Amino acid sequence: MSELSVEDVSVTLGQTRALTHVSLTVRAGWTAVVGPNGAGKSTLLRAMAGLLTPHAGRVKLDGQSLSRWSRAERARRLAWLAQQSDARGELTVREVVQLGRLPHLGLFTAPAPHDEAQVDRAMADAECTAWQDRRLQELSGGERQRVLLARALAVGAPYLLLDEPTTHLDPVHQAALVRVIRRQVRQDVRVLSVLHDLSLALLADRLVVMKGGRVHAQGARDEPALHAALVEVFDGAIRIVRVDAQWVALAHWDGA
Amino acid sequence: MLAASFDDPAPSWRPAAGGHVAVTAARVLRVGRHRTPSLAAGPARAGALPWPSVRPRTLARAITRVLASMLALWAGASLAAPADTLHDDRGEPVVAGPPARRIVSLLPSLTESVCALGACDRLVGTDRYSNWPQSVRALPKLGGLDDAQVERIVALHPDVVLVSTSARLAERLEALGLKVLALDSRSHADVKHSLFVLAQALGLPAAAQPVWDAIERQTRAAAERVPATMRGRRVYFEVDTTPYAAGAQSFIGQTLTRLGMTNAIPAVLGAFPKLNPEYVVRLQPDIVMAGQLELQTMAQRPGWGALRALRERRSCGFASDRYELLVRPGPRMGEAAAVLADCLAALSPRTDGSP
Amino acid sequence: MTSPDRRRRARLIVGLALGSAALLGVGLGAGSDGWSLDALWRVGSSPDAALIVGQIRAPRTLGAWLTGALLGLAGAVAQGLFRNPLADPYLLGSASGASLGVVLVLAASALSGHAISLVTAHALAHLGLVSAAFAGALLGVMLTLLLARGAQQSTRLLLAGVVVGVVLSAFSDLVTTVAPEAMRGKQAFLLGNTGFLGWGSCAALAIGVVAAGALSWRLARALDALVLGSDTAVSLGVHLQHTRLALVAVMALATGLAVSQTGLIAFVGLVAPHLVRRLAPAPAGYTVLASGAAGGALLLLADVLARTLIAPQEVPVGVLTALLGGAYLIWLLHRRAAT
Repeated sequence: MSELSVEDVSVTLGQTRALTHVSLTVRAGWTAVVGPNGAGKSTLLRAMAGLLTPHAGRVKLDGQSLSRWSRAERARRLAWLAQQSDARGELTVREVVQLGRLPHLGLFTAPAPHDEAQVDRAMADAECTAWQDRRLQELSGGERQRVLLARALAVGAPYLLLDEPTTHLDPVHQAALVRVIRRQVRQDVRVLSVLHDLSLALLADRLVVMKGGRVHAQGARDEPALHAALVEVFDGAIRIVRVDAQWVALAHWDGA
Repeated sequence: MLAASFDDPAPSWRPAAGGHVAVTAARVLRVGRHRTPSLAAGPARAGALPWPSVRPRTLARAITRVLASMLALWAGASLAAPADTLHDDRGEPVVAGPPARRIVSLLPSLTESVCALGACDRLVGTDRYSNWPQSVRALPKLGGLDDAQVERIVALHPDVVLVSTSARLAERLEALGLKVLALDSRSHADVKHSLFVLAQALGLPAAAQPVWDAIERQTRAAAERVPATMRGRRVYFEVDTTPYAAGAQSFIGQTLTRLGMTNAIPAVLGAFPKLNPEYVVRLQPDIVMAGQLELQTMAQRPGWGALRALRERRSCGFASDRYELLVRPGPRMGEAAAVLADCLAALSPRTDGSP
Repeated sequence: MTSPDRRRRARLIVGLALGSAALLGVGLGAGSDGWSLDALWRVGSSPDAALIVGQIRAPRTLGAWLTGALLGLAGAVAQGLFRNPLADPYLLGSASGASLGVVLVLAASALSGHAISLVTAHALAHLGLVSAAFAGALLGVMLTLLLARGAQQSTRLLLAGVVVGVVLSAFSDLVTTVAPEAMRGKQAFLLGNTGFLGWGSCAALAIGVVAAGALSWRLARALDALVLGSDTAVSLGVHLQHTRLALVAVMALATGLAVSQTGLIAFVGLVAPHLVRRLAPAPAGYTVLASGAAGGALLLLADVLARTLIAPQEVPVGVLTALLGGAYLIWLLHRRAAT
């Protein structure tokens, strides 16, 4: 049984303690990581993707410490999407998505039909097949985001780590993104996404609430304890209400 | 290897012809010279003509005369001085004032010229390349033309600084109040002109001619030593491995011509043309002249192994101090001619009858 | 890959191949009396023509193409590695290292001209310059890597390259003040000269082109991944340190070889990748190889022009590459402004 977890991990970036004694297991389904700015959400994701080395604790994948896995193996199992991308260049959309097959192909092997099929599927899932011959720099921010997401999907990894995938996305595209994630979950991919939009996060199966480099609370999206933790972490500036079978976080300002 | 004394632009020796024009114009219009502002320094040579009692018949004629005289004045001012005042190669007149006592020379050939004129003791500083005569080596070294140490030059309080026309240094030094003479040295004519200008500036106007005569004498003597069988042979003189050659218009080329040799490079290509290596191979010069080290590796250049001059050793390779002498357009050009003549004479027994 | 893209890429390759072949032919006829077909026609009959065309023009022409190919390849790698369209192959201190090597050899032979025997001097003079330039280029890059403590970050590498370039230039200026005879040779080196490329040089250059081309084509996918960002590249399994080091090594070898044979020729490494990207945008594998071909054609064109414009004199080839490259960049800017 595949499992990705962090055990008592602490990460220091420069002078600051970005993560302190964080323990977490990524369960099946879609888990959203939320919290105020500077809570260490992105840092957690990077540590899980193997992009940072924690100075204490371990990240474990399938029972083995992440550092024991080879780069290629790690890359095949953990697909990571960056928060911001300054990707430029003359690559077409299809060529960008094809880069997602790098962990399987390495630098030297030519793509097989199987890889091309994966690429097609990833583009279909991310709803960007129509642009496959356009260049990355010709697309709008939102469109580019979907292409980069397709790139992450093309890896075909059992874990999908998405850092703020909703940047630049308007509500239509945000809805599309939710569809994509749901589709992945149905294919048994475990999705862990950092989101700052709480209403969106409340569509996930589970939430992890962070503040100040620590995990404040975690639980299923319907749990009242989780909602209380959310309100607390945001210093009472929000209210969680139920609207049309969905949880929504509303801004709650005194005196407004 | 070129010494730093080479300049790029064409020779620009302008005789003081402008002075003649101004005087003639002035005399025609009967405008007194003493009215002109003091242009060229020094005693007004053309005597002051009496201010004419102009009695124009009409106002128009008066105005015409005034305008014409203004034109003459302007022409006179811009074309400068009395007939026998010399100019340096920028056209600046040489002040025949007090002779220069403290001289800074930034060109090795000019350093040598100053010494040849007998004023070696007046040198207070030179550039880094000046190394003849021996006494000059002890003088403060002030850099080269492009990186001269301006502060040190100023601190030496020179009466005149000698540079080449292609140096930007001249304006800088003049802005600091120093007197600068810019002299070309591309051809024999340039060298002769420089000697005369320097002699004037040093207050030794009679010293230049003997020096020039000595050069001429040595060159003639060298020409006589060149064996008859060698005369007219085509010489390729390489000054740089790029390759740059010495053309007929350069001072080296002119010396070779005086020695009775022909330059393998046609004169139309200029003084120091940068050539296509293939060209030299096609020319098949009779004699090749270059620095010793360069000559050693010349045959290895692609295709140059076919140069008959190299195969049959009809070549002159000069050690670096000799080579330096050859490429310096100064008072030792006569010696340079002798060095060339010696080499040609040494080659003579080796050449067969046909070119 | 769509048909228009595929067609553009194919067209560019065919165009470059045809252009290079044509220029190679023209190069055989371009000599000290401008461009003439006579020498070509006479090849069979006169031994002189065989010498001129076979020993001088042919290796020079081919050598110019090969050198341009090395520079174009290195330029494309540099621009991909630093993700900067203004990067050129001389960025990592290879240029100043090579010129320092050349200056040291020139100064040594001048300073100890009396002490060392002519035979040694002769060996030093020819072989010495070529190896000195090559060794100097490699040392320059190694210094850069040392200063940047490996190829971890491109910015650090770039800065280190600039610093090393400046410092090594200062050293070579220092050497020329002590031994001024080296100045002229150094200036000639800095201008670039294709005049003395023989068959030996061509062989060395050809090996370099094949090696550099093969290596950079293999590593090209990593260059593409780098476009997405270094973190994403790492998450895709790219060993960033090793890949960067390998790419830097390819750049150093290609540049060092080119510079040792012809001196510093500017603009070819900068303009060739631009041309390719403009005419046929493609992933790095294609771009790198096509830049090689484009660089070869560009330098060959400059060399042919250098030989024919003021024959029998020659314009320094570096001047022509600067003019051609500069003209292209100006045109590019003009186009940008117009759109």
